[in-house]
Amino acid sequence: MSDRKLPRLLQTPAVLLLLVWMLIPLGMTLYFSFIRYVLNSLRRPEWTTPNLSNWRGFGNYEFVLKSKDFLFAIQNSLFIVCSILILTVILGVLIAVLINKTFPGQGIVRVLLISPFFVMPAVNAVLWINMILDPVLGLQGIAIGSINELLESLRNVPLVDWFFSLWPKLEPISFRATQTSAYAVIIMVTWQWTPFAVLIFMTSLQSEDQQQKEAAVLDGASAWSQFRFLTLPHLARPIAIVVMIQAIFHLSLYAEIEIVSRGNGNKNLPYLIGEFANNNIGAASATGIFAVILANIVAFFLLRMIGKTLME
Amino acid sequence: MPIVAKTSRFSKYGRPTVAWVVGLMFFFPIFWMVLTSFKTDADAVKPEHLIWFTPTLENYLNMTENYDYWRFAKNSVITAVFATAFTLVVGIPCAYAMAFNPSKATKDVLMWMLSTKMLPAAAVLYPMTFLTKSAGLFDTHFLIILVLSLINLPIAIWMLFTYFKEIPKDIIEAGQMDGVSTMGEIKEILIPLAWGGIAATALLVFIFCWNEAYWTVRLTTTDAATLSKLIEGNRAPEGLFFGRLSAVSAAAVGPIVVLGWFCQKQLVQGLTFGAVK
Repeated sequence: MSDRKLPRLLQTPAVLLLLVWMLIPLGMTLYFSFIRYVLNSLRRPEWTTPNLSNWRGFGNYEFVLKSKDFLFAIQNSLFIVCSILILTVILGVLIAVLINKTFPGQGIVRVLLISPFFVMPAVNAVLWINMILDPVLGLQGIAIGSINELLESLRNVPLVDWFFSLWPKLEPISFRATQTSAYAVIIMVTWQWTPFAVLIFMTSLQSEDQQQKEAAVLDGASAWSQFRFLTLPHLARPIAIVVMIQAIFHLSLYAEIEIVSRGNGNKNLPYLIGEFANNNIGAASATGIFAVILANIVAFFLLRMIGKTLME
Repeated sequence: MPIVAKTSRFSKYGRPTVAWVVGLMFFFPIFWMVLTSFKTDADAVKPEHLIWFTPTLENYLNMTENYDYWRFAKNSVITAVFATAFTLVVGIPCAYAMAFNPSKATKDVLMWMLSTKMLPAAAVLYPMTFLTKSAGLFDTHFLIILVLSLINLPIAIWMLFTYFKEIPKDIIEAGQMDGVSTMGEIKEILIPLAWGGIAATALLVFIFCWNEAYWTVRLTTTDAATLSKLIEGNRAPEGLFFGRLSAVSAAAVGPIVVLGWFCQKQLVQGLTFGAVK
Protein backbone atom coordinates (compact mmCIF):
# COMPACT_ATOMS: atom_id res chain seq x y z
CA MET A 1 0.00 0.00 0.00
CA SER A 2 1.52 3.25 -1.06
CA ASP A 3 -0.41 4.89 1.74
CA ARG A 4 1.91 3.25 4.28
CA LYS A 5 4.79 5.42 3.19
CA LEU A 6 2.97 8.53 4.16
CA PRO A 7 3.16 8.03 7.93
CA ARG A 8 6.96 8.20 7.99
CA LEU A 9 6.92 11.18 5.65
CA LEU A 10 4.77 13.02 8.15
CA GLN A 11 7.86 13.62 10.24
CA THR A 12 9.62 15.52 7.49
CA PRO A 13 8.08 18.97 7.91
CA ALA A 14 9.03 19.08 11.58
CA VAL A 15 12.47 17.65 10.97
CA LEU A 16 13.22 19.98 8.08
CA LEU A 17 12.01 23.06 9.91
CA LEU A 18 14.14 22.29 12.93
CA LEU A 19 17.12 21.42 10.78
CA VAL A 20 16.97 24.77 8.97
CA TRP A 21 16.32 26.58 12.23
CA MET A 22 19.39 24.97 13.73
CA LEU A 23 21.86 24.81 10.88
CA ILE A 24 21.66 28.19 9.18
CA PRO A 25 22.16 30.44 12.22
CA LEU A 26 24.64 27.98 13.68
CA GLY A 27 26.61 27.90 10.46
CA MET A 28 26.71 31.68 10.37
CA THR A 29 27.80 31.82 14.00
CA LEU A 30 30.56 29.39 13.23
CA TYR A 31 31.68 31.50 10.28
CA PHE A 32 31.62 34.77 12.23
CA SER A 33 33.58 33.16 15.03
CA PHE A 34 36.56 32.73 12.71
CA ILE A 35 36.67 36.24 11.25
CA ARG A 36 37.25 39.72 12.58
CA TYR A 37 33.82 41.28 12.61
CA VAL A 38 32.82 44.34 14.62
CA LEU A 39 29.82 46.63 14.30
CA ASN A 40 31.67 49.91 14.70
CA SER A 41 35.30 50.65 14.12
CA LEU A 42 36.73 54.02 13.15
CA ARG A 43 40.25 52.68 12.79
CA ARG A 44 39.47 49.54 10.83
CA PRO A 45 36.28 50.13 8.84
CA GLU A 46 36.97 47.00 6.76
CA TRP A 47 36.16 44.87 9.80
CA THR A 48 32.58 46.09 9.91
CA THR A 49 31.43 43.81 7.09
CA PRO A 50 31.68 40.05 7.36
CA ASN A 51 34.30 39.00 4.87
CA LEU A 52 36.58 36.02 4.47
CA SER A 53 39.58 38.32 4.00
CA ASN A 54 39.26 39.25 7.67
CA TRP A 55 40.02 35.66 8.66
CA ARG A 56 41.24 35.41 12.23
CA GLY A 57 41.52 31.66 12.78
CA PHE A 58 41.11 30.80 16.43
CA GLY A 59 41.92 34.38 17.42
CA ASN A 60 38.41 35.13 18.66
CA TYR A 61 38.41 31.95 20.72
CA GLU A 62 41.73 32.90 22.30
CA PHE A 63 40.42 36.39 23.00
CA VAL A 64 37.33 34.98 24.71
CA LEU A 65 39.28 32.41 26.73
CA LYS A 66 41.61 35.13 27.96
CA SER A 67 38.84 37.59 28.90
CA LYS A 68 38.37 37.62 32.65
CA ASP A 69 34.61 37.27 32.41
CA PHE A 70 34.49 34.01 30.52
CA LEU A 71 35.29 31.56 33.30
CA PHE A 72 33.16 33.53 35.73
CA ALA A 73 30.21 33.46 33.32
CA ILE A 74 30.44 29.68 32.98
CA GLN A 75 30.69 29.18 36.72
CA ASN A 76 27.84 31.57 37.32
CA SER A 77 25.66 29.84 34.68
CA LEU A 78 26.20 26.50 36.37
CA PHE A 79 25.75 27.97 39.85
CA ILE A 80 22.42 29.53 38.91
CA VAL A 81 21.09 26.50 37.01
CA CYS A 82 22.13 23.94 39.62
CA SER A 83 20.81 25.98 42.54
CA ILE A 84 17.45 26.38 40.84
CA LEU A 85 17.30 22.67 40.02
CA ILE A 86 18.08 21.60 43.58
CA LEU A 87 15.62 24.03 45.14
CA THR A 88 12.75 23.34 42.76
CA VAL A 89 13.08 19.56 43.01
CA ILE A 90 13.22 19.53 46.81
CA LEU A 91 10.41 22.06 47.24
CA GLY A 92 8.42 20.41 44.47
CA VAL A 93 8.56 16.96 46.06
CA LEU A 94 7.70 18.28 49.53
CA ILE A 95 4.77 20.35 48.29
CA ALA A 96 3.44 17.63 45.99
CA VAL A 97 3.45 15.11 48.86
CA LEU A 98 1.90 17.71 51.16
CA ILE A 99 -1.10 18.44 48.96
CA ASN A 100 -1.57 14.95 47.59
CA LYS A 101 -4.17 14.04 50.26
CA THR A 102 -7.61 15.60 50.23
CA PHE A 103 -8.19 18.42 52.68
CA PRO A 104 -10.60 21.36 52.84
CA GLY A 105 -9.81 23.81 50.06
CA GLN A 106 -7.39 21.53 48.22
CA GLY A 107 -8.54 22.84 44.88
CA ILE A 108 -7.97 26.47 45.86
CA VAL A 109 -4.55 25.75 47.34
CA ARG A 110 -3.60 24.00 44.12
CA VAL A 111 -4.65 27.00 42.06
CA LEU A 112 -2.73 29.37 44.34
CA LEU A 113 0.35 27.17 44.14
CA ILE A 114 0.58 26.79 40.40
CA SER A 115 -0.16 30.44 39.57
CA PRO A 116 3.48 31.62 39.52
CA PHE A 117 4.18 29.28 36.63
CA PHE A 118 1.96 31.37 34.36
CA VAL A 119 3.73 34.66 35.11
CA MET A 120 5.95 35.88 32.28
CA PRO A 121 9.67 36.13 33.15
CA ALA A 122 9.81 39.87 32.47
CA VAL A 123 7.00 40.55 34.94
CA ASN A 124 8.49 38.09 37.41
CA ALA A 125 11.81 39.92 37.42
CA VAL A 126 10.33 43.42 37.56
CA LEU A 127 7.99 42.41 40.37
CA TRP A 128 10.58 40.73 42.57
CA ILE A 129 13.48 43.11 42.16
CA ASN A 130 11.42 46.29 42.58
CA MET A 131 8.45 45.57 44.74
CA ILE A 132 9.69 42.76 46.94
CA LEU A 133 13.47 42.68 47.19
CA ASP A 134 14.34 46.38 46.90
CA PRO A 135 16.29 47.38 50.04
CA VAL A 136 14.46 50.69 50.44
CA LEU A 137 11.13 50.72 48.63
CA GLY A 138 10.44 47.01 48.33
CA LEU A 139 8.74 44.91 50.97
CA GLN A 140 12.14 43.82 52.23
CA GLY A 141 13.21 47.40 52.86
CA ILE A 142 9.87 48.35 54.38
CA ALA A 143 9.83 45.31 56.66
CA ILE A 144 13.36 45.88 57.90
CA GLY A 145 12.72 49.59 58.27
CA SER A 146 9.69 49.01 60.47
CA ILE A 147 11.50 46.42 62.61
CA ASN A 148 14.26 48.97 63.15
CA GLU A 149 11.70 51.61 64.06
CA LEU A 150 10.07 49.26 66.53
CA LEU A 151 13.42 48.46 68.10
CA GLU A 152 14.25 52.14 68.22
CA SER A 153 11.06 52.97 70.10
CA LEU A 154 11.57 50.04 72.49
CA ARG A 155 14.98 51.44 73.31
CA ASN A 156 13.23 54.42 74.88
CA VAL A 157 10.93 52.37 77.08
CA PRO A 158 12.09 52.33 80.70
CA LEU A 159 13.07 48.99 82.26
CA VAL A 160 13.54 47.16 78.92
CA ASP A 161 15.62 49.85 77.20
CA TRP A 162 18.94 48.24 78.20
CA PHE A 163 17.75 44.95 76.70
CA PHE A 164 16.80 46.34 73.31
CA SER A 165 19.75 48.67 73.07
CA LEU A 166 21.86 45.51 72.90
CA TRP A 167 20.00 44.42 69.77
CA PRO A 168 21.66 45.19 66.47
CA LYS A 169 20.21 47.53 63.91
CA LEU A 170 19.14 45.42 60.92
CA GLU A 171 20.60 46.13 57.51
CA PRO A 172 18.53 45.37 54.40
CA ILE A 173 20.27 43.29 51.74
CA SER A 174 20.82 44.95 48.40
CA PHE A 175 20.09 42.51 45.61
CA ARG A 176 21.79 44.69 43.03
CA ALA A 177 25.37 43.61 43.73
CA THR A 178 27.07 40.98 41.58
CA GLN A 179 26.65 38.01 43.88
CA THR A 180 23.38 38.98 45.51
CA SER A 181 21.68 39.60 42.18
CA ALA A 182 22.51 36.01 41.25
CA TYR A 183 20.64 35.03 44.44
CA ALA A 184 17.76 37.26 43.38
CA VAL A 185 17.59 35.46 40.02
CA ILE A 186 17.64 32.09 41.77
CA ILE A 187 14.84 33.18 44.13
CA MET A 188 12.57 34.46 41.38
CA VAL A 189 13.10 31.56 38.99
CA THR A 190 12.63 29.05 41.82
CA TRP A 191 9.39 30.79 42.70
CA GLN A 192 8.23 30.47 39.11
CA TRP A 193 9.33 26.91 38.39
CA THR A 194 8.56 25.13 41.67
CA PRO A 195 4.90 25.05 40.58
CA PHE A 196 5.96 23.27 37.40
CA ALA A 197 7.75 20.62 39.46
CA VAL A 198 4.71 20.35 41.73
CA LEU A 199 2.41 19.86 38.72
CA ILE A 200 4.48 17.01 37.35
CA PHE A 201 5.08 15.32 40.70
CA MET A 202 1.41 15.65 41.61
CA THR A 203 0.38 13.90 38.40
CA SER A 204 2.85 11.15 39.13
CA LEU A 205 1.75 10.70 42.75
CA GLN A 206 -1.83 10.16 41.62
CA SER A 207 -0.69 6.98 39.92
CA GLU A 208 1.12 5.70 42.99
CA ASP A 209 0.14 2.20 44.03
CA GLN A 210 -2.29 2.74 46.91
CA GLN A 211 -2.53 -0.95 47.84
CA GLN A 212 1.19 -1.07 48.35
CA LYS A 213 0.93 1.94 50.61
CA GLU A 214 -1.88 0.44 52.64
CA ALA A 215 0.10 -2.74 53.06
CA ALA A 216 3.04 -0.69 54.27
CA VAL A 217 0.83 1.10 56.80
CA LEU A 218 -0.49 -2.22 58.08
CA ASP A 219 3.07 -3.46 58.44
CA GLY A 220 3.68 -0.46 60.66
CA ALA A 221 5.95 1.41 58.27
CA SER A 222 6.53 4.96 59.46
CA ALA A 223 5.52 7.91 57.31
CA TRP A 224 9.18 8.58 56.65
CA SER A 225 9.97 5.07 55.43
CA GLN A 226 6.85 5.10 53.25
CA PHE A 227 8.13 8.28 51.70
CA ARG A 228 11.71 7.05 51.43
CA PHE A 229 11.04 3.57 50.05
CA LEU A 230 7.78 3.95 48.13
CA THR A 231 7.15 7.54 47.12
CA LEU A 232 10.67 8.66 46.31
CA PRO A 233 11.51 5.73 44.00
CA HIS A 234 8.15 6.28 42.32
CA LEU A 235 9.16 9.90 41.67
CA ALA A 236 12.55 9.07 40.13
CA ARG A 237 11.34 9.40 36.57
CA PRO A 238 9.38 12.61 36.98
CA ILE A 239 12.38 14.10 38.79
CA ALA A 240 14.56 13.25 35.79
CA ILE A 241 12.02 14.92 33.50
CA VAL A 242 11.79 18.04 35.65
CA VAL A 243 15.58 18.34 35.77
CA MET A 244 15.83 17.94 32.03
CA ILE A 245 13.15 20.44 31.04
CA GLN A 246 14.34 23.02 33.52
CA ALA A 247 17.96 22.64 32.44
CA ILE A 248 16.82 23.35 28.89
CA PHE A 249 15.08 26.54 29.94
CA HIS A 250 17.52 27.85 32.53
CA LEU A 251 20.74 27.36 30.61
CA SER A 252 19.49 30.12 28.32
CA LEU A 253 18.17 32.33 31.11
CA TYR A 254 18.32 35.92 29.95
CA ALA A 255 15.42 38.25 30.70
CA GLU A 256 15.70 37.87 34.46
CA ILE A 257 19.43 38.51 34.48
CA GLU A 258 19.13 41.51 32.23
CA ILE A 259 16.41 43.12 34.32
CA VAL A 260 17.94 42.33 37.70
CA SER A 261 21.59 42.93 36.99
CA ARG A 262 21.77 45.88 34.64
CA GLY A 263 25.42 45.32 33.94
CA ASN A 264 26.52 44.90 37.56
CA GLY A 265 28.72 41.94 36.70
CA ASN A 266 26.25 39.15 37.42
CA LYS A 267 26.30 37.37 34.09
CA ASN A 268 25.78 33.93 32.66
CA LEU A 269 26.99 32.71 29.31
CA PRO A 270 24.07 34.02 27.21
CA TYR A 271 24.42 37.39 28.89
CA LEU A 272 28.14 37.53 28.17
CA ILE A 273 27.39 36.78 24.52
CA GLY A 274 24.93 39.65 24.53
CA GLU A 275 27.58 41.96 25.95
CA PHE A 276 30.13 41.01 23.31
CA ALA A 277 27.49 41.36 20.61
CA ASN A 278 27.14 45.06 21.38
CA ASN A 279 30.14 45.48 19.15
CA ASN A 280 32.41 42.49 18.73
CA ILE A 281 30.39 39.97 16.74
CA GLY A 282 33.44 37.75 16.25
CA ALA A 283 33.96 37.33 19.99
CA ALA A 284 30.23 36.97 20.60
CA SER A 285 30.09 34.19 18.02
CA ALA A 286 33.09 32.39 19.51
CA THR A 287 31.45 32.59 22.96
CA GLY A 288 28.28 31.28 21.34
CA ILE A 289 30.15 28.25 20.04
CA PHE A 290 31.51 27.64 23.55
CA ALA A 291 27.95 27.88 24.85
CA VAL A 292 26.79 25.37 22.26
CA ILE A 293 29.54 23.00 23.35
CA LEU A 294 28.60 23.42 27.02
CA ALA A 295 24.93 22.87 26.23
CA ASN A 296 25.80 19.73 24.30
CA ILE A 297 27.80 18.33 27.19
CA VAL A 298 24.89 18.94 29.54
CA ALA A 299 22.41 17.63 26.97
CA PHE A 300 24.43 14.47 26.46
CA PHE A 301 24.09 13.46 30.11
CA LEU A 302 20.51 14.61 30.50
CA LEU A 303 19.27 12.93 27.34
CA ARG A 304 20.97 9.69 28.29
CA MET A 305 19.29 9.92 31.66
CA ILE A 306 15.77 10.13 30.23
CA GLY A 307 16.36 8.53 26.84
CA LYS A 308 16.27 5.05 28.30
CA THR A 309 12.88 5.48 29.90
CA LEU A 310 11.39 7.38 27.00
CA MET A 311 10.95 4.55 24.53
CA GLU A 312 9.57 1.95 26.95
CA MET B 1 -4.19 1.67 65.89
CA PRO B 2 -1.84 4.32 67.20
CA ILE B 3 -0.11 5.00 63.91
CA VAL B 4 -3.33 5.67 62.08
CA ALA B 5 -4.55 7.92 64.89
CA LYS B 6 -1.34 9.91 64.79
CA THR B 7 -1.34 10.41 61.03
CA SER B 8 -4.98 11.33 60.96
CA ARG B 9 -4.52 14.10 63.51
CA PHE B 10 -1.83 15.57 61.29
CA SER B 11 -4.03 15.02 58.27
CA LYS B 12 -6.92 16.77 59.94
CA TYR B 13 -5.25 19.99 61.12
CA GLY B 14 -1.55 20.07 60.31
CA ARG B 15 -1.63 19.24 56.63
CA PRO B 16 -4.34 21.72 55.63
CA THR B 17 -2.70 24.48 57.68
CA VAL B 18 0.76 23.95 56.22
CA ALA B 19 -0.67 23.54 52.72
CA TRP B 20 -2.66 26.75 52.97
CA VAL B 21 0.33 28.68 54.31
CA VAL B 22 2.55 27.42 51.49
CA GLY B 23 -0.13 28.12 48.88
CA LEU B 24 -0.67 31.67 50.12
CA MET B 25 3.08 32.30 50.24
CA PHE B 26 3.48 31.26 46.63
CA PHE B 27 0.57 33.37 45.58
CA PHE B 28 1.58 36.39 47.65
CA PRO B 29 3.80 38.15 45.05
CA ILE B 30 0.98 38.06 42.51
CA PHE B 31 -1.48 39.32 45.12
CA TRP B 32 0.97 42.07 46.01
CA MET B 33 1.32 43.13 42.40
CA VAL B 34 -2.45 43.33 41.98
CA LEU B 35 -2.81 45.25 45.27
CA THR B 36 -0.11 47.73 44.24
CA SER B 37 -1.80 48.21 40.89
CA PHE B 38 -4.70 49.91 42.70
CA LYS B 39 -2.42 52.45 44.39
CA THR B 40 -1.29 55.75 42.91
CA ASP B 41 2.39 55.89 42.02
CA ALA B 42 2.99 58.10 45.04
CA ASP B 43 1.16 55.83 47.49
CA ALA B 44 2.86 52.72 46.15
CA VAL B 45 6.21 53.58 47.74
CA LYS B 46 4.92 54.96 51.07
CA PRO B 47 5.13 52.51 53.98
CA GLU B 48 2.13 54.14 55.65
CA HIS B 49 0.02 53.17 52.63
CA LEU B 50 1.31 49.62 52.55
CA ILE B 51 -2.07 48.07 53.27
CA TRP B 52 -4.41 51.02 53.91
CA PHE B 53 -4.84 53.25 50.92
CA THR B 54 -7.57 54.71 48.76
CA PRO B 55 -7.90 52.33 45.84
CA THR B 56 -7.86 53.88 42.40
CA LEU B 57 -8.51 52.55 38.93
CA GLU B 58 -6.42 55.33 37.45
CA ASN B 59 -3.51 53.02 36.59
CA TYR B 60 -5.74 50.74 34.57
CA LEU B 61 -7.62 53.57 32.92
CA ASN B 62 -4.38 55.23 31.85
CA MET B 63 -2.78 52.02 30.63
CA THR B 64 -3.37 52.83 26.98
CA GLU B 65 -2.03 56.32 27.39
CA ASN B 66 0.98 55.33 29.52
CA TYR B 67 2.01 52.15 27.81
CA ASP B 68 -0.07 51.63 24.68
CA TYR B 69 -1.07 48.33 26.33
CA TRP B 70 -3.65 47.15 23.80
CA ARG B 71 -1.30 47.22 20.83
CA PHE B 72 1.15 44.92 22.62
CA ALA B 73 -1.66 42.74 23.96
CA LYS B 74 -3.06 42.33 20.46
CA ASN B 75 0.35 41.23 19.18
CA SER B 76 0.71 38.76 22.05
CA VAL B 77 -2.67 37.21 21.29
CA ILE B 78 -2.05 36.99 17.54
CA THR B 79 1.44 35.51 17.80
CA ALA B 80 0.64 33.08 20.62
CA VAL B 81 -2.56 31.78 19.00
CA PHE B 82 -1.09 31.26 15.55
CA ALA B 83 2.19 29.88 16.87
CA THR B 84 0.32 27.34 19.01
CA ALA B 85 -1.84 26.33 16.06
CA PHE B 86 1.14 25.99 13.74
CA THR B 87 3.08 23.99 16.34
CA LEU B 88 0.19 21.51 16.59
CA VAL B 89 -0.29 21.28 12.84
CA VAL B 90 3.35 20.35 12.35
CA GLY B 91 3.74 18.49 15.63
CA ILE B 92 0.75 16.14 15.60
CA PRO B 93 1.59 14.37 12.32
CA CYS B 94 5.22 14.09 13.38
CA ALA B 95 4.38 12.63 16.80
CA TYR B 96 1.85 10.31 15.12
CA ALA B 97 4.49 8.96 12.77
CA MET B 98 6.92 8.47 15.61
CA ALA B 99 4.44 6.74 17.88
CA PHE B 100 2.76 4.40 15.40
CA ASN B 101 5.41 3.87 12.73
CA PRO B 102 8.60 4.03 14.74
CA SER B 103 11.91 3.16 13.15
CA LYS B 104 15.29 2.57 14.71
CA ALA B 105 16.10 6.23 14.29
CA THR B 106 12.95 7.52 16.00
CA LYS B 107 14.50 7.78 19.43
CA ASP B 108 17.56 9.57 18.07
CA VAL B 109 15.44 11.98 16.05
CA LEU B 110 13.43 12.80 19.14
CA MET B 111 16.57 13.31 21.20
CA TRP B 112 18.07 15.47 18.49
CA MET B 113 14.93 17.60 18.42
CA LEU B 114 15.15 18.16 22.15
CA SER B 115 18.81 18.99 21.87
CA THR B 116 17.99 21.87 19.50
CA LYS B 117 16.18 23.42 22.45
CA MET B 118 19.46 23.51 24.29
CA LEU B 119 21.24 25.67 21.76
CA PRO B 120 21.64 29.01 23.48
CA ALA B 121 19.52 31.56 21.65
CA ALA B 122 22.10 34.24 22.33
CA ALA B 123 24.63 32.30 20.26
CA VAL B 124 22.59 32.73 17.10
CA LEU B 125 20.99 36.08 17.85
CA TYR B 126 23.24 38.12 15.62
CA PRO B 127 22.89 35.89 12.54
CA MET B 128 19.14 35.79 13.11
CA THR B 129 18.89 39.57 13.27
CA PHE B 130 21.09 39.86 10.21
CA LEU B 131 19.13 37.30 8.19
CA THR B 132 15.68 38.49 9.14
CA LYS B 133 16.56 42.12 8.48
CA SER B 134 17.92 41.32 5.04
CA ALA B 135 14.86 39.18 4.26
CA GLY B 136 12.57 41.99 5.37
CA LEU B 137 11.00 39.79 8.02
CA PHE B 138 12.29 41.65 11.07
CA ASP B 139 9.53 42.88 13.37
CA THR B 140 6.73 41.05 11.54
CA HIS B 141 4.04 38.82 13.02
CA PHE B 142 5.03 36.13 10.57
CA LEU B 143 8.56 35.94 11.92
CA ILE B 144 7.53 35.88 15.57
CA ILE B 145 4.92 33.19 14.91
CA LEU B 146 7.49 31.10 13.07
CA VAL B 147 10.16 31.51 15.74
CA LEU B 148 7.76 30.79 18.61
CA SER B 149 6.58 27.64 16.82
CA LEU B 150 10.09 26.44 16.20
CA ILE B 151 11.30 26.91 19.75
CA ASN B 152 8.26 25.08 21.12
CA LEU B 153 8.08 22.33 18.53
CA PRO B 154 10.52 19.92 20.25
CA ILE B 155 8.70 20.02 23.59
CA ALA B 156 5.32 19.78 21.88
CA ILE B 157 6.36 16.75 19.81
CA TRP B 158 7.80 15.08 22.88
CA MET B 159 4.60 15.63 24.88
CA LEU B 160 2.36 14.48 22.04
CA PHE B 161 4.55 11.46 21.40
CA THR B 162 4.25 10.32 25.02
CA TYR B 163 0.44 10.51 24.83
CA PHE B 164 0.13 8.84 21.45
CA LYS B 165 2.34 6.00 22.61
CA GLU B 166 -0.21 5.09 25.27
CA ILE B 167 -2.95 4.58 22.67
CA PRO B 168 -3.26 0.89 21.75
CA LYS B 169 -1.95 0.29 18.25
CA ASP B 170 -4.89 -2.00 17.48
CA ILE B 171 -7.29 0.90 17.43
CA ILE B 172 -5.24 2.73 14.82
CA GLU B 173 -4.67 -0.46 12.85
CA ALA B 174 -8.38 -1.22 12.85
CA GLY B 175 -8.82 2.07 11.05
CA GLN B 176 -6.22 1.03 8.49
CA MET B 177 -8.11 -2.20 7.83
CA ASP B 178 -11.22 -0.24 7.10
CA GLY B 179 -9.30 1.63 4.46
CA VAL B 180 -9.19 4.95 6.23
CA SER B 181 -6.46 7.19 4.87
CA THR B 182 -3.61 8.33 7.07
CA MET B 183 -4.95 11.83 7.36
CA GLY B 184 -8.37 10.36 8.14
CA GLU B 185 -6.82 8.25 10.87
CA ILE B 186 -5.29 11.30 12.48
CA LYS B 187 -8.46 13.33 12.19
CA GLU B 188 -11.09 10.73 13.01
CA ILE B 189 -9.32 8.38 15.40
CA LEU B 190 -6.18 9.87 16.88
CA ILE B 191 -7.27 13.41 17.71
CA PRO B 192 -10.51 12.41 19.47
CA LEU B 193 -8.69 9.69 21.44
CA ALA B 194 -5.78 11.87 22.50
CA TRP B 195 -7.83 15.00 23.00
CA GLY B 196 -6.77 15.50 26.64
CA GLY B 197 -3.10 15.26 25.79
CA ILE B 198 -3.43 17.55 22.80
CA ALA B 199 -5.26 20.13 24.89
CA ALA B 200 -2.58 20.02 27.59
CA THR B 201 0.14 20.39 24.95
CA ALA B 202 -1.63 23.31 23.33
CA LEU B 203 -2.04 24.98 26.69
CA LEU B 204 1.60 24.61 27.64
CA VAL B 205 2.80 25.81 24.24
CA PHE B 206 0.46 28.78 24.47
CA ILE B 207 1.84 29.69 27.90
CA PHE B 208 5.41 29.43 26.67
CA CYS B 209 4.62 31.55 23.61
CA TRP B 210 2.89 34.23 25.64
CA ASN B 211 5.74 34.42 28.13
CA GLU B 212 8.68 34.12 25.72
CA ALA B 213 11.07 36.96 26.39
CA TYR B 214 14.15 36.51 24.25
CA TRP B 215 13.25 36.42 20.58
CA THR B 216 10.08 38.45 20.98
CA VAL B 217 12.15 41.22 22.55
CA ARG B 218 15.07 41.10 20.17
CA LEU B 219 13.44 40.44 16.81
CA THR B 220 10.84 43.19 17.13
CA THR B 221 10.75 46.94 17.48
CA THR B 222 7.13 48.10 17.29
CA ASP B 223 4.89 46.33 14.79
CA ALA B 224 5.06 42.82 16.26
CA ALA B 225 6.24 43.67 19.78
CA THR B 226 4.53 41.58 22.46
CA LEU B 227 3.77 42.18 26.12
CA SER B 228 7.16 40.78 27.15
CA LYS B 229 8.78 43.55 25.18
CA LEU B 230 6.49 46.13 26.75
CA ILE B 231 7.40 45.08 30.30
CA GLU B 232 11.09 44.68 29.59
CA GLY B 233 11.20 48.08 27.94
CA ASN B 234 9.49 49.78 30.86
CA ARG B 235 11.15 48.17 33.84
CA ALA B 236 11.01 51.10 36.22
CA PRO B 237 13.99 52.83 37.66
CA GLU B 238 13.89 52.28 41.43
CA GLY B 239 10.64 53.35 42.95
CA LEU B 240 9.24 55.27 40.04
CA PHE B 241 5.83 54.31 38.73
CA PHE B 242 5.34 51.19 40.89
CA GLY B 243 1.60 51.70 40.67
CA ARG B 244 1.25 51.97 36.93
CA LEU B 245 3.92 49.34 36.33
CA SER B 246 2.03 46.92 38.57
CA ALA B 247 -1.16 47.59 36.68
CA VAL B 248 0.34 46.92 33.27
CA SER B 249 2.17 43.86 34.61
CA ALA B 250 -1.04 42.51 36.09
CA ALA B 251 -2.76 43.13 32.77
CA ALA B 252 0.07 41.34 30.96
CA VAL B 253 -0.05 38.17 33.05
CA GLY B 254 -3.77 38.30 33.90
CA PRO B 255 -5.14 36.56 30.81
CA ILE B 256 -2.70 33.68 31.02
CA VAL B 257 -3.05 33.19 34.79
CA VAL B 258 -6.83 33.06 34.50
CA LEU B 259 -6.57 30.67 31.56
CA GLY B 260 -4.25 28.52 33.66
CA TRP B 261 -6.72 28.45 36.54
CA PHE B 262 -9.54 27.28 34.30
CA CYS B 263 -7.41 24.63 32.65
CA GLN B 264 -5.51 23.43 35.69
CA LYS B 265 -7.30 20.05 35.58
CA GLN B 266 -5.96 19.44 32.06
CA LEU B 267 -2.51 20.51 33.18
CA VAL B 268 -2.51 18.33 36.29
CA GLN B 269 -3.56 15.29 34.29
CA GLY B 270 -1.71 16.19 31.17
CA LEU B 271 1.79 17.22 32.19
CA THR B 272 3.43 13.86 32.41
CA PHE B 273 6.06 13.88 29.66
CA GLY B 274 5.93 10.11 29.79
CA ALA B 275 6.89 10.11 33.45
CA VAL B 276 3.76 8.25 34.50
CA LYS B 277 2.95 4.76 33.48
